[in-house]
Amino acid sequence: MPFGIDLGAPINTALLLANIYFAQGIIFPKVSPPSVTPTDYKQSYSWMPKSHPPTVIFETFTPKTLAKYDGRDGGRVLLAIKGMVFDVTAGKSFYGPDGPYGNFAGRDASRGMAKQSFDVDMLTPLDQPLDKLEGLSNSEIDNMNGWIDFFSHKYLVCGKLVENTD
Amino acid sequence: MDGLLRTDNATVLLGISLGVVYLLKSYLTPGHLVHPLTLGKQSDVERVRQKGESAVYKNYGWSTGIGMDAQLLYRPDKDVKSVVDLAKLDADVTRTLWSSKISNADLKTRVRALGSGFVREAHLNPEESNVLLLLNDSLDFLISDLALASHNIPSFTISSLSLLSAVLDNHPPSAIICHIHFLTHVLELVAENHEFSHHTIIVVGEGDLPDAVRKVPVKVLWLADLERKGAKGEPVEAKPTNPETVFSVAFYPGPNNELRAASLTHMNLTAGVTAVRRQLPLVNLAKEDAVVSSHSLATPYGRAIMYTALYEGASFSTSDSTAVFQDGETHHFLAIRSAGDDIVKSAGSPNPTILFLTNPELARLSSAILAKAKESFLFWMAWRHKLHALQQGYLSKDSAWDAQVFATARLATLKQASSSLRAIVAAGGGPIEAAAMTPSRIALSMPLIFAHAHPLVAGPVFSSHPLDLQDFPAKAGEAQDKAHVGPPAVNVEAKLAGVDDAAVEGGASPVGEVVVRGPSVAVPLGSDIEQNSWLPLGEKAVVQPNGTFKVLS
Repeated sequence: MPFGIDLGAPINTALLLANIYFAQGIIFPKVSPPSVTPTDYKQSYSWMPKSHPPTVIFETFTPKTLAKYDGRDGGRVLLAIKGMVFDVTAGKSFYGPDGPYGNFAGRDASRGMAKQSFDVDMLTPLDQPLDKLEGLSNSEIDNMNGWIDFFSHKYLVCGKLVENTD
Repeated sequence: MDGLLRTDNATVLLGISLGVVYLLKSYLTPGHLVHPLTLGKQSDVERVRQKGESAVYKNYGWSTGIGMDAQLLYRPDKDVKSVVDLAKLDADVTRTLWSSKISNADLKTRVRALGSGFVREAHLNPEESNVLLLLNDSLDFLISDLALASHNIPSFTISSLSLLSAVLDNHPPSAIICHIHFLTHVLELVAENHEFSHHTIIVVGEGDLPDAVRKVPVKVLWLADLERKGAKGEPVEAKPTNPETVFSVAFYPGPNNELRAASLTHMNLTAGVTAVRRQLPLVNLAKEDAVVSSHSLATPYGRAIMYTALYEGASFSTSDSTAVFQDGETHHFLAIRSAGDDIVKSAGSPNPTILFLTNPELARLSSAILAKAKESFLFWMAWRHKLHALQQGYLSKDSAWDAQVFATARLATLKQASSSLRAIVAAGGGPIEAAAMTPSRIALSMPLIFAHAHPLVAGPVFSSHPLDLQDFPAKAGEAQDKAHVGPPAVNVEAKLAGVDDAAVEGGASPVGEVVVRGPSVAVPLGSDIEQNSWLPLGEKAVVQPNGTFKVLS
């Protein structure tokens, strides 16, 4: 058979074009950058994440404003110990409104943490001044500090609790 | 049907050739040097932020291993408590410092002798006297610095000549060390000021003293004499130093040319050395290296670079552009000179392996190399191939295209340094354009680190990953996009103040004033800010979603 490329045959033409395409890719590689910055590392080496890592603003809460965050409306669940407000939304099953420790949601849990009790009488009513933690023994204070350590490592400190202003 | 799917020998051959070409293309496409996933999260970001501020950004090295042993953030090794420990004078090393070959044993003897000379002959009192070092970067500067530090005598340095009279007025030193060429100028200024009876002037160099000496009642001593006399007799014992004591005050000009100063403690410098060592994580500075720095020793960053080289046992030198004092004339250094001249050292010195340049010098160097490379007719092909490899994350000095085009250009520009250079760090002298990053990388084809330094921080503030080769399209409307300088240095925490909360909550990148904290951040002189508390640097920056910063002013 004569050795020649029969371009009349579609398969040969297709293969020839494919050869030319890849060879051209080797000799003249594509260097034009994308017009829009890629947002996925699989798309391109030069990529930028679509958004910044999420952050929460450190807020100052009063007992009245903190009470809104009890998780009942599906929002964040916060609780306070010794003036530090923790975001315990991740532990909603415990600290949320339906959980075993739900009494603490949106409230100052300091006394309860110290006395290891989840009763409602550990909580101070919203319109009264903050619990000054009087009448607690040293071991109870240690217990409370232990809970503060536990919460600091597991959950985010997203605010501080101060007295009501109104 | 048969006619359409006709195959013959040519089909087989084309099929084989297609397979070969396809495999060749995959084989020749280079892989990335650093996985792009890691470049998407270069800082450790706190999840909580204060109102009006961005989150606090830390380097990953902080929380992985090194953070566990907090001591390692303050010093490169637990026994390095002071600047003199950094010099590691007990190690058996011989190296070239500013074209003089000197062993550590000789250096130690000279430092001891000069220290004794300062205390005994020049009557400088530890912890009470201050010495103004008006020397250009040289071995004499280093020995004087170490001698003063070992006896707890704070030194003053100025980074600009315009500050000299202000320093003499506001912070009169007990003694001034200067070169004989500069002596007349110093005597004039001292005569204008009042308390000159307290001044002692220690002269470096040789020659005849100018006549002006007789007209001004100051005591003039020779540094060489002090060293000689200090070597005779009993050496004065140095008391152990507390890392928190001030060992040097670095004066620098503020934005309105007013006098500002950074109070450097031993801890600031040891922390600065830790940070500089970690700027070169994959390069591994060792004693075979020769470091050339364009950062004057009068600046904290320049001092940290020198002490890092000393700590590692490497040779060290500074380029001529750092000279502040020139033969009594008051003009500054940045003379226009051929790009490689600063870097090429005279015969007898080791060829530089690591350069710490300023941004304008880097720009000059890379444009000189590219201009030379354009003379080759293969330049456009070589550029295209190297750019393609760079976009996949790969860069190499030894590729075939380099051998054809870029190696000769580098040889012509850098001369004997072109084969020895391993890495370049660019910081200071104004921000660099983002569009200039890729051409510099291709021209140099070696690890290029973009960093940011500040006169109040010993060590870098921000420093990019050496193998970060990412390049982004310029955003519409931002005509002059600045280059990013990477995440914060290993022992620096950074945040941005004065940030628009509404914009940030909406997803925009925070823009604000840089505020830093860390053991290498020095306390401004005379302020009541404490060490390791937040210090605003007076510069504006933006942080990108991948944790890298761009300094805008």
